[in-house]
Amino acid sequence: MSAHYILRKLVQAILTIVAIVALNFVLFRMMPGSPERATKNPHLTPEFIAAERAKWGLDKPLFPDQLVAFAISTAQGDLGYSIKYRGQPVVEVVADAAGPTVLLIGIGEAIAIVVGLWLGARSGWRRGGVMDRIGNSLSLIFYSMPYFVIGMPLIIIFAAGLGWFPTSGMTTPGGDKGPAEALFDLGRHLVLPVTAVALGLIGAYSILMRSSIVETRSEDYITTARAKGLPDALVLRSHAFPNALLPMVTLIAINLGYVVAGAITAEIVFNWPGLGLLTVQALDARDYPLLQAIFLLIAVSVVFANFAADIVYGYLDPRVRA
Amino acid sequence: MSLQPIAGTTDLGVGRWTTTGRRARTFVGRLLGRTDGLVGVVILAFFTVIALFPSVFVGPLEGVLSATGQPLDSPSLAYPFGTDELGRDLLNLTVHGARISMVIGLLATIITVVIGSTVGIVAGYVGGVVDNVLMRITDFFLVLPTIVLALILAPIILDVIGAQAELFGIRSTLLVIVIVIGLTSWATTARVIRSQVLSVKERMFVDRARVIGSGGGQIMRRHILPNVVNLIVAQSVLTFATAVFTETTLAFIGLGDPAAPSWGQILNNAQSAGAPGLGAWWYIVPPAAAVVLVVLAFTLLGNALDDVLNPKMLGRR
Repeated sequence: MSAHYILRKLVQAILTIVAIVALNFVLFRMMPGSPERATKNPHLTPEFIAAERAKWGLDKPLFPDQLVAFAISTAQGDLGYSIKYRGQPVVEVVADAAGPTVLLIGIGEAIAIVVGLWLGARSGWRRGGVMDRIGNSLSLIFYSMPYFVIGMPLIIIFAAGLGWFPTSGMTTPGGDKGPAEALFDLGRHLVLPVTAVALGLIGAYSILMRSSIVETRSEDYITTARAKGLPDALVLRSHAFPNALLPMVTLIAINLGYVVAGAITAEIVFNWPGLGLLTVQALDARDYPLLQAIFLLIAVSVVFANFAADIVYGYLDPRVRA
Repeated sequence: MSLQPIAGTTDLGVGRWTTTGRRARTFVGRLLGRTDGLVGVVILAFFTVIALFPSVFVGPLEGVLSATGQPLDSPSLAYPFGTDELGRDLLNLTVHGARISMVIGLLATIITVVIGSTVGIVAGYVGGVVDNVLMRITDFFLVLPTIVLALILAPIILDVIGAQAELFGIRSTLLVIVIVIGLTSWATTARVIRSQVLSVKERMFVDRARVIGSGGGQIMRRHILPNVVNLIVAQSVLTFATAVFTETTLAFIGLGDPAAPSWGQILNNAQSAGAPGLGAWWYIVPPAAAVVLVVLAFTLLGNALDDVLNPKMLGRR
């Protein structure tokens, strides 16, 4: 892979992050309770306002001085203080909630990739077959369901009805638990939320993988492999599948933003103490600094995921290295 | 100007109408001949009728004061879909939710498609620096997690225009959802339209128009737009599915309007009332099923349209 290709993608990723920070800056000027608005109080003397504005650097022009100052403090990890969690830096609040979300999405994403790609490959390979009809219909239905629409019936059936799994939360409160017991408890709490996230994703991945494999199937090298007399399963496994996987790399990375956003709703349903639940609390309390930090974190992660996908794609497919 | 009829074309009007009519018939025939197209149209027809005349079927929207049932009653003869925690009839709420969800979806789709098509056509036709700048902006919106951006934008916009404001009788809380969905989801449409414009603008009739002295704006309106309108229609239908999906998600998260319950808002109420943990399935199934059916129908219809309208796709799939 040429250094030029990597450099170009890196520059694109950095420019996107700069744009995200700039957008965050603009939002910061618009939001209620911004310093610009606080100084509109008629009871303050002009001298006091001028002194305060100078103290906080508001007398300088918005661009470039204020924007640069904002970008520098963002780069240093200073995103301000939470309104709801009084005085706590938002970075700490967000960092505490990121763990459970990564756990939930990580496992859900892994299951969905394995099952979705397998299902899509099988459906597309025998297009119009029984497997395709059932698999594709199910995929389309799950694709049309928001995560919480999948999660709510799961709770009703498996938690409220059958009582197999807890209805909400990440751990059972109280009681001293040994490490093994604690892990089992976490696992029990994970089953339903992970199922909801995985089911929501399987639909999308399976549909995309299906069309990718349908496209690959008509390629000449597949005909060649068949003509050589290779068994059908081997043609699928070592000729069609790896090539059909290529576009999926990008799609999975681009989808990451939607996955995180969707996980927000799954977390609400299962009362899962991650970024999603935090987002809703921040929204209810109109905790703008916190909302901004969450947006920044998710947006930057998505940009990084896209960058990683571009690199992986360039490594896998020689045609895009130019 | 561009709207004046060109001499010699008016007397061809009759002939043109008949060919258009025949083309339309074969188009509808091909669309309804496909399972996905037919299923999509039937489901959407059902929900459109409900959305147009909700009061005819279930009477006016029940409020807290006009509710007649017991709280959280399971389905019975009097209340076939059961009641919510305030004793409101869920059949009534779900039917009225159709209008709210679909109107928001429709308005958001219009904004999305207008922005997306304009950006796509201008970027594709003008090219050069303009194309580059517009596509970088598009890529930016493509990468951004739109729902998360919507979560920040919605309260800010609401604060700027005020919660009590109204436009065309739609309350600002709902309007904000429409604007936010529109502003954050046009990027895909722009990309799709642009790539089609790139091939259309190389065709002979565009050169011909340029040679006889048509300006850029006129060529885009009269020659490029009619040739990508098929794609715009297919994209609109697919966008509608995304818009209803996003509206449901945003309303569920808590950005909806309790006074105008969309399906997402009903599900939000169900979640707040603890319906899943209580096993109150009748509170969740009707609105959830409605959302899934409508999103599914739009997706099926959009894919069918994409195949039928896109000549390149003929014989594939």
